Amino acid sequence: MAADNPIDPIHQFEISKIADIQLGGIDISFTNSSLFMVFALAATMALFVIGLSKKSIIPNRMQMLSELSYNFIANMLRDQVGDQGRAYFPFIFSLFMFIFFCNFIGLIPYTFTVTSHLIVTFAFAGLIFVAVTIIGFVKNGLGYLRIFYPSGIPIFLAPLIVPIEIISYLSKPISLSVRLCANMLAGHSILKIFAGFIVMLGFLGFAPLVFLVVLYALETLIAALQAYIFTILTCIYLNDALHPDH
Amino acid sequence: MKILLKAFLLIAPINFAYAAEGQKSAGLPQMDIATFPSQLFWLVITFSLLYLFMWKFVIPRLGATIEERRDKISNDINDADNLNTEATDILKKYDEQLASASQESNEIITNSKKAMLDHLEMLKKENEEKVNSLISESQAKIKAQEEKSKIEIRNATLDTVKAIVSRYIENIPSDEEINKKLN
Repeated sequence: MAADNPIDPIHQFEISKIADIQLGGIDISFTNSSLFMVFALAATMALFVIGLSKKSIIPNRMQMLSELSYNFIANMLRDQVGDQGRAYFPFIFSLFMFIFFCNFIGLIPYTFTVTSHLIVTFAFAGLIFVAVTIIGFVKNGLGYLRIFYPSGIPIFLAPLIVPIEIISYLSKPISLSVRLCANMLAGHSILKIFAGFIVMLGFLGFAPLVFLVVLYALETLIAALQAYIFTILTCIYLNDALHPDH
Repeated sequence: MKILLKAFLLIAPINFAYAAEGQKSAGLPQMDIATFPSQLFWLVITFSLLYLFMWKFVIPRLGATIEERRDKISNDINDADNLNTEATDILKKYDEQLASASQESNEIITNSKKAMLDHLEMLKKENEEKVNSLISESQAKIKAQEEKSKIEIRNATLDTVKAIVSRYIENIPSDEEINKKLN
């Protein structure tokens, strides 16, 4: 069994049931994936509940941390979308915190990385894609179709540009979801493989250990960076929906 | 590094073989469609809770705190500015008062100097007048005394002349005759 093999790099992505729940013939069991979603939720809540427990003018460390994340996302949204983006701030903020904590919790050994599953990232990306498209049409009417034909392009190039734009638009959710998922999957697999080398090589294991430490630092960076990229791309898509002329 | 590469080549196929063996549906666990409904279901639940938490709790409170701090800071800066203006005003007023006071004191000094000089001048004049009047008075007195003395001398002379003459001659000359002779 793969589960018994300590150095199987894919084992960490396997989903195992914790509580078997069936609803109308559909399997919605509480799995390790669900558990770590709850952990990400709990971590976010803990950060803000502790950070906001003592609202003071001069913040303590936890309050500082929660305000930093708030300002970070608020500034990102303001820079990318402008004041019209305010309504979407709760979603963007939640999105960032959820992905951020999923990525980070996944870095702890023996945990599960929720965002390493394409269906999860695709659910987010799909939701964002559908929402952005709806927002685009609601705010701009049929004028939203202009995003497929950027201004300043000669008309004879239209048959070439418009299909490219449409394809690039439709591929947004795929690139968005695959980017995050693949980063998590590849990073965690490599970590596990090199961790396996340490065990396999015995005394010589210090060489992959050094590499593993460096790699782990890189993965930590990637965990934060991918959450940031996912969020900022969402902001950019939102901006395209609100201002299709740019 | 060569050792690492060898080790990897050695292990990798074994691992993937194990993985494939362990899986009911071969391949990555990510491709196991059977787990999708559960993942989506729990994702919706957890993310909705997170969204609600953020929307209803975190953002209003954090926003309020940050707003409050911004207000407090801007208020404090305003207060500081006001106090600064006030202080500048007070300093200005103080300087003005100082200037006016020094001017006033200068005036007072000048005035009192002038008054003193005037008074001195007046006293001088008064004294001079007094002295002059005294002098003229004394001169008058002296003159009067002179006149008086002259008359007395004359009278005495007359008397003396009369006495002398009367001793030698019987005819006593009149005062007019003596005066004529004396002059």
